[in-house]
Amino acid sequence: MGVVVAEAFSLVDVVLERDGRRVLDGVSDHIHHGMATAVLGASGSGKSTLLRLLNRFEEPTSGEIRLDGRPIGTYDVHELRRRVGLVAQRPTMLTSTIGEEVRLARPELDDEQVRLLLERVALSTMRMDRATSTLSGGEQQRLALARALAVEPEVLLLDEPTSALDDRAAQSVDQVVRSLVSHGLTVVLVSHDLDRVLGLVDRVLVLDEGRLVERGEPGEVRYLS
Amino acid sequence: MTPTSQIPDWLGVAASAALVGIAVAVALRARLGLTRELVWASVRAFAQLLAVGAVLTVLFAVAGLLGALAWVAGMVVVAGFVAAGRSKELPKARRNAWIAVGIGTATTLGTLLVLGIIDPVPTVVVPVGGMVVSGAMTAASLTMRRLADVAEQQRADIEARLALGLTSDEAMAPHMRRGVKTALLPAIDSTKVVGLISLPGAMTGLILAGVEPIVAIRYQIVVMYMLLAAATVSAVVAARLTERSLFDDADRLHRVGSPR
Repeated sequence: MGVVVAEAFSLVDVVLERDGRRVLDGVSDHIHHGMATAVLGASGSGKSTLLRLLNRFEEPTSGEIRLDGRPIGTYDVHELRRRVGLVAQRPTMLTSTIGEEVRLARPELDDEQVRLLLERVALSTMRMDRATSTLSGGEQQRLALARALAVEPEVLLLDEPTSALDDRAAQSVDQVVRSLVSHGLTVVLVSHDLDRVLGLVDRVLVLDEGRLVERGEPGEVRYLS
Repeated sequence: MTPTSQIPDWLGVAASAALVGIAVAVALRARLGLTRELVWASVRAFAQLLAVGAVLTVLFAVAGLLGALAWVAGMVVVAGFVAAGRSKELPKARRNAWIAVGIGTATTLGTLLVLGIIDPVPTVVVPVGGMVVSGAMTAASLTMRRLADVAEQQRADIEARLALGLTSDEAMAPHMRRGVKTALLPAIDSTKVVGLISLPGAMTGLILAGVEPIVAIRYQIVVMYMLLAAATVSAVVAARLTERSLFDDADRLHRVGSPR
């Protein structure tokens, strides 16, 4: 396309061995700023592990991962995790009310800032003192997104954020992710379902038994889920 | 006053075997299938106490304060094994239990000795030290067990906090408070109800030995306070050390759990 895009993450021949097995086997790729990338693969293909390498929840056995040109090991790990947010598969509520949840890592946010964050995840109609335990699965996952966005990450990692949800809830989360992507947030999304990420991401990587077997635009890659 | 006059002689001890006989007879009658265990437990208790009595008699006769403290140190080593045994899956469990029980014991026993509350003689330091070590051991053991459960069951919660850039200290804070509190509840509860529900060991022993109850309780008060200190220090140290061992230098939570 001829447009030069800055790389957020660069992976160079990344290998991760666990219990004598290669979970990731020589993965090299670039993840660009302002783009949404999906990592597809069957369960056990290493896709979640790849995601967890990017915020240093896992450490590669060999190879290198750089963020903005710097090896990620040279960042203070807490700074790295503020730059690179992660939302897990199952929503985990860590506090008792919506307001507390958004402020968990940013206690200094005022009500207006919290409201803006809730607006970004389509929860702005909710009272901030509403109990998190009364929210549906989809609402909890969107609140988890707001909690991560509060830290103002450059990159947001999403580990199958809808796979634990029913279809309607999953669509509500997808819609929020789509709007975040369209506003230029860099997103890396793990999924086992190509259909789910069509029209949502700019680029797809396909992992098979730890190896990167396909990469390209969503329409180009061959992947059978 | 000759307190020993109220302690049963060997003939009395032999006669008390009749009580084991009663227990065995009742167990037989009720077909509990416990006869052998009752007898075995009674024989073991006899042999163990005889051995401890003999060792302590020699220890008190020949050892000075240093010997007594060495004995207490030995108890700390054993207590560390026991406390760590309840949470073997934790990294560095034994090392952490030893340090926790050791610091809890040293702080408490040291204070008692430095303030002159107890006499620096083996006949006092060894039994008091035993109570202190035992209190510290229970608290360390409960704290570590609780944190092992947290690390296994609350992994998603802890990682969700770490993913927001919180430090391991911050991510563990709510669990640490709950863990230490749970571990200290037995010590606090038994302090609250002392004298109301239970007449505890030190006081009972003194009264049996012929000491006036109003005098005996002085010792018991000291004992309760020292057990609170030993348990609290030991639990907090165990929690801190365990927390540190649970994370690596990149604040990643180690995998803890029974290997399947």
